[in-house]
Amino acid sequence: MSYYYITFRSVTFAQRGERVLQAGKIRCTLQRTPRWMEEQGCGYCLRLWTKELTPAAELLVREGVPFRKLYVQKAQGQLEEVTL
Amino acid sequence: MIYLDYGATSFRKPPQVYRAVERAMARCASPGRGGYGAAMEAQRQVYRCREAAGTLFECDPEQVVLTMNCTHGLNIAIRSLVKRGAKVVVSGFEHNAVVRPLHALGAETAVAGRKLFDREDTLEAFRRELDRGAEAAVFTHVSNVFGYILPVEEMAAMCRERGIPFILDAAQSAGALPVSLKKLGAEFIAMPGHKGLLGPQGTGLLLCREGAEPLLYGGTGGASRPREMPPELPERLEAGTMNVPGIAGLTMGMEYVLRRGTEDIFRREHRCLGQCVEMLKRRGLRVFSGPHQAGTVSFLPQMDCEEAAELLAKQGVAVRAGLHCAPLAHESAGTVETGTVRVSFGFDSGPEQVFQLERVLTRAGI
Repeated sequence: MSYYYITFRSVTFAQRGERVLQAGKIRCTLQRTPRWMEEQGCGYCLRLWTKELTPAAELLVREGVPFRKLYVQKAQGQLEEVTL
Repeated sequence: MIYLDYGATSFRKPPQVYRAVERAMARCASPGRGGYGAAMEAQRQVYRCREAAGTLFECDPEQVVLTMNCTHGLNIAIRSLVKRGAKVVVSGFEHNAVVRPLHALGAETAVAGRKLFDREDTLEAFRRELDRGAEAAVFTHVSNVFGYILPVEEMAAMCRERGIPFILDAAQSAGALPVSLKKLGAEFIAMPGHKGLLGPQGTGLLLCREGAEPLLYGGTGGASRPREMPPELPERLEAGTMNVPGIAGLTMGMEYVLRRGTEDIFRREHRCLGQCVEMLKRRGLRVFSGPHQAGTVSFLPQMDCEEAAELLAKQGVAVRAGLHCAPLAHESAGTVETGTVRVSFGFDSGPEQVFQLERVLTRAGI
């Protein structure tokens, strides 16, 4: 099973992203960013409960919520950055 | 106690404010610092506050910076916008929270508009000073001493037309008058959380557009590796652990204001003001009143104003006397030597308080 993550520049943007995605019926959870995903130190990200990473990112862009990066974590644990 | 000092703080709050403070103390850890339940709950409380403020003041949640009080916000705003020695226009009714930071920066301050309740004078003087090479403007929405509502929409428009950035001090208007970051186009709007927004003391809001510089430097919970403060608002201006119980209470206060509406709150305060002005004038006192007045009035008793306030306090009436931390406003009104006694109304004031004040004034011989 794969996990999908969106990282943000700040916890406030992550929270705004959470509101936007939930309003768009995209299930997500706010959580601390895994250490290996955040090169700036600490942060918060949204973990998506869907594979629909592209619609989620597009919705954020449309609503003017800046995000940092998109990731997929594969079942074996390896991490892949996703570009749209 | 007959409380008539809402201009200082809304001493009584809606009950949900007290409950929210207590609940947050029991359930919230430090926001933005952890992923466990109590830390996430704190973060949710903080964001809810930003959302309520965003709705009330027409801005995005990330433009809402949580401060300790209005003075804190004004200091951040002034330090961000005003360069050392810059020429800055202020109104004739500013609080020391504006005057002192400008003085500390060595700003060349031009005071525009000294006539109380005279919007034409305010606008004419303001226009003149802007056109004399002003680099920034800072002005209050409502005088904390006299309740004069300045024509801030027109003043903001004048600044926008000339490309001059400005800061609005909404200390006395937030929660009672419409305030919109979007419509005014201010660089910053500062306000306390504990007055018209009905939150606890130790809370405040600074609404920001961009270009804000931190006053405090330190941990923000995120982007920890760089030595610099993060560039993103609001974290850029929020170093250190936040006052989550206060913020939770402030949220409840703002949600109360949103439900009730600023128009209704203003109407209630204004009705009390009218009755109070009439009553004070009937007693032969010098009363500072006029058009465009919020729920605050100053008067001159026939004795020292501090003595008068002391006599009233002994009879259970809470008013404020002196210069109200706004000597500039008193200079404008010609009361800097005497000070005034200030009566200010709030969200739950009613005519019975004016009747009680009248009774006590008679008993005290004022």
